[in-house]
Amino acid sequence: MPSLLTGIPASPGIVVGAVHLLRWEVPEVPMRVIGEDEVTREIARVHDAFTRAVERLKQVRERAARHAGPGEAAIFDVQISIIEDAELRGRVESVVHQNFSAERAFDVVMHEWREHFARSPHAMMRERVGDLLDVHIRVLSILMGLPDYDLVDVSKGANAILVTHDLTPSLTVQIDRECVGGIATDAGTRTSHVAILARSVGLPAVVGLLDVTSRLETGDQAILDGTAGTLIARPTAAELAAAATRTQRERRQGELLARVAREESVTADGVRIVLRANVDLPDEARAAATSGAEGVGLMRTEFLVVGRATMPDEEEQLEAYAGVVAAFAGHPVIIRTFDVGADKLPVGGYPHEPNPFLGWRAIRMCLDQPEIFKTQLRALLRAAVGGDVRIMLPLVVTLDEVREARFLLAEAARELAARGVPHRADVPLGVMVETPAAAMTADALAKDVAFFSIGTNDLVQYTLAVDRGHAGLASRFTPLHPAVLRLIRRTLDVGLAHGLEVSVCGEMASEPLTAFALIGLGIRNLSVAPRSVARVKQIVRGMHTSVAAAAAAEALEAGTAQAAEAALTAGLTAEGGLESLGA
Amino acid sequence: MVEDRVTVVNSHGIHARPAAEIVKAAARFASHITLARDDLEVNGKSIMGVMMLAAEKGAELTVRADGDDAAEAVRELVALVGGHFGEA
Repeated sequence: MPSLLTGIPASPGIVVGAVHLLRWEVPEVPMRVIGEDEVTREIARVHDAFTRAVERLKQVRERAARHAGPGEAAIFDVQISIIEDAELRGRVESVVHQNFSAERAFDVVMHEWREHFARSPHAMMRERVGDLLDVHIRVLSILMGLPDYDLVDVSKGANAILVTHDLTPSLTVQIDRECVGGIATDAGTRTSHVAILARSVGLPAVVGLLDVTSRLETGDQAILDGTAGTLIARPTAAELAAAATRTQRERRQGELLARVAREESVTADGVRIVLRANVDLPDEARAAATSGAEGVGLMRTEFLVVGRATMPDEEEQLEAYAGVVAAFAGHPVIIRTFDVGADKLPVGGYPHEPNPFLGWRAIRMCLDQPEIFKTQLRALLRAAVGGDVRIMLPLVVTLDEVREARFLLAEAARELAARGVPHRADVPLGVMVETPAAAMTADALAKDVAFFSIGTNDLVQYTLAVDRGHAGLASRFTPLHPAVLRLIRRTLDVGLAHGLEVSVCGEMASEPLTAFALIGLGIRNLSVAPRSVARVKQIVRGMHTSVAAAAAAEALEAGTAQAAEAALTAGLTAEGGLESLGA
Repeated sequence: MVEDRVTVVNSHGIHARPAAEIVKAAARFASHITLARDDLEVNGKSIMGVMMLAAEKGAELTVRADGDDAAEAVRELVALVGGHFGEA
């Protein structure tokens, strides 16, 4: 069995420690029929288990209130109410009267309730399944004399690696940083609850490990690498040494980042390059702000809808946006409206699309669902009171879309004015140029927008007709293809002619060679992942725009992507290559 | 029997925490108390029942009580259900 498990990097950092395995799952309940004379005793056992479960929940609630606050601890009041529910007790007792054992009766009733809630058409009911599951597990464990896995029992200073199937909210609020050093889960994604929590408290975490709970036991030594997304079980001495080296390297990179963050972003020939950060989740804003980024070039808002049962309301969105705006006081924060397709929306039962990248998504979906869109626009206009917010529309292909969005934006402002809510009605509206259509008709769009931001990933995908997620086509996904370079150049020329800010916010800006190419094309405004800000700044500081411009001019006229790349590589090499640029 | 109608106004509706508050309040009365939405009528002292109403903002509910303290129970629950539960 390989000792290296690979999952999804959810929160950076490396931790070496002992595993604390938390099996929070419904135990198998053996079928046991009881005699009439045992009914009274079994009912007493049910009541006893309920009393003990409530006592335990009160302890857990106290602990959660200390670590996470009284608001977070309130979910345990709900669980206590469920256990004290007279209907639940009545149902369990009636099943015991049918000669089922206490644990079997409780198990049967809880399965029924969970099924009923899980199948409800109402999101509000489906969201409660987690609480029912927690109660189900807790009471059954008591009835069956199984060990209690609550974190209450992990000792201070243990630096344990918490390994569990999924971190339910009720487990999450109990986490004490003094005993837990890292988290590994079977389930989860980068935007799931556990990942967000881990990042916000700075705990290394790897999620999506699929079956990590069946591969480790409590007490096992392990190395959790939240940066790489790996977990090494029972590491060898060599692996431990490698982890120590990596920890040191991370620290050095952190120091470099901190040093470069304070330096100016100017090329060797004195040209200012504005570097902003891309922010996927609100809790990444602080890290982005300390990276030296001069604002947010792209804040994605998909985290607000993906994987949820209900759409976020205006207040929840406002809170998310306002937090990022506050972290970047005085700097622009460009927020992109929902870039999701039918498959990601929590509401409605939309059909699966055979070709989602060409389907009903992003601005198309928003314009067809004006209530969803206007809720987001109202939250954005309100967040703008706190700073320099700019709104960006994704996947625009025609001027009509901009005009419709502007109409809805004006309506949103009127609605806020009618409610007497503080907001700004003059928030700049720009478009993400990520389709050949938008780039080719940039002159038509320019009259109605405040800025262009070029999204290179999608622009490359739509221009070259290459699926960016297709592993077999990776070598054909060539961002330096002359067609792409010409579209970027065209967008820039048109934007500058109309006095618009033109930036690039795709992954392309993060790579040394492509960043060099973009600056050579004349781009002076890049937005990259927070961890790439320092690296790109080092490239900027080591290069001359004149050299890059000459290389880009050659690349624009190249016949193939390979020839364009060769021209740019030659230019970068003339600057002393990647090494001297610190890349 | 006493009954009255009430509209849910808090923005998140009767989710788990408000449901817990409602059953706690209902439990203080001796009367038999129910909450009804359209055809669904549930025990007002059961959190499972109250959660099953899935009452979002704007939902119309009927509070019914039968017993010695019915009038007081309906009055108090209507005020609670139609309140903000400490939210916006």
